[in-house]
Amino acid sequence: MIDYEPQVLAFACHYCAYAAADLAGSMRLNYPPNVKVLHLPCTGKVDVIYLLRAFEKGADAVFVAG
Amino acid sequence: MIVAQQKPLEEIMGMIANAEKVLILGCGTCVTVCFAGGEKEVAILASQLRMATRLAGHEKEIREFTVQRQCEYEYNEQAADYVRDADLIVSLACGIGVQTMNEQFPEKLTVPGLNTSGLSQPTEQGVWEERCQACGDCILALTGGLCPIARCAKSLLNGPCGGSQRGICEVYAERQTPCVWDQIYHRLKDLGQLEKLMEIRPPKNWHTSRDGGQRKIVREDLRL
Repeated sequence: MIDYEPQVLAFACHYCAYAAADLAGSMRLNYPPNVKVLHLPCTGKVDVIYLLRAFEKGADAVFVAG
Repeated sequence: MIVAQQKPLEEIMGMIANAEKVLILGCGTCVTVCFAGGEKEVAILASQLRMATRLAGHEKEIREFTVQRQCEYEYNEQAADYVRDADLIVSLACGIGVQTMNEQFPEKLTVPGLNTSGLSQPTEQGVWEERCQACGDCILALTGGLCPIARCAKSLLNGPCGGSQRGICEVYAERQTPCVWDQIYHRLKDLGQLEKLMEIRPPKNWHTSRDGGQRKIVREDLRL
């Protein structure tokens, strides 16, 4: 399990969390490559079925940032 | 509306244990409005079952479909192709929908994914309170529009009983259910119709309710 790297999916709001991630990129800050960012127009669009589908498709963790 | 609640996932897992291809069939009417068996709940249950069966070691093929109204043959016809491909159907409709499916597609078993829980009113967001027991002989005109059959724990017609304490029913006191006979008294008082409570009435005729067995309405004027 030492090599275990969880696949993490981030649902990020266009107006805040995604902008922050974008800024982090501009500043050349690193974040782990096993985090995949999904850009949403607003986290109000998140529905429980999106989260379930993420787990179904193999995500080990999901976080919603907005 | 007819309200229902989803059965525990373990119970549904048990019902589908011997099937490979399972159709989750939703209903777009009452159980959609009470968030129990509409398109969205079908998608959630299907996703849960796919993951649960995968974790149990053998992922089943779970398909999804929702008809407008599962208690009518015409709507269920739209699901015929899905039914043909499935070994088993889990219906997310009320008990009427489940039985309609079994009658319409007798070659396949349709099992219930919901527990049908009554004829209720959404009194606030996320709360449904039973209002009618379909007794077949409505007395709401006599009781100020409040039903003692559905809302009194004893279905009393001459309440309140001694278990009514400060307007609250003694049955499951922690639920703080209002005593409907207390409500009826105050309602009739407000309407200036307290004399209705003094009228002597014959016993309620229960043959229109469940006492006469299964009920059936035949409207000759509507038959083809």
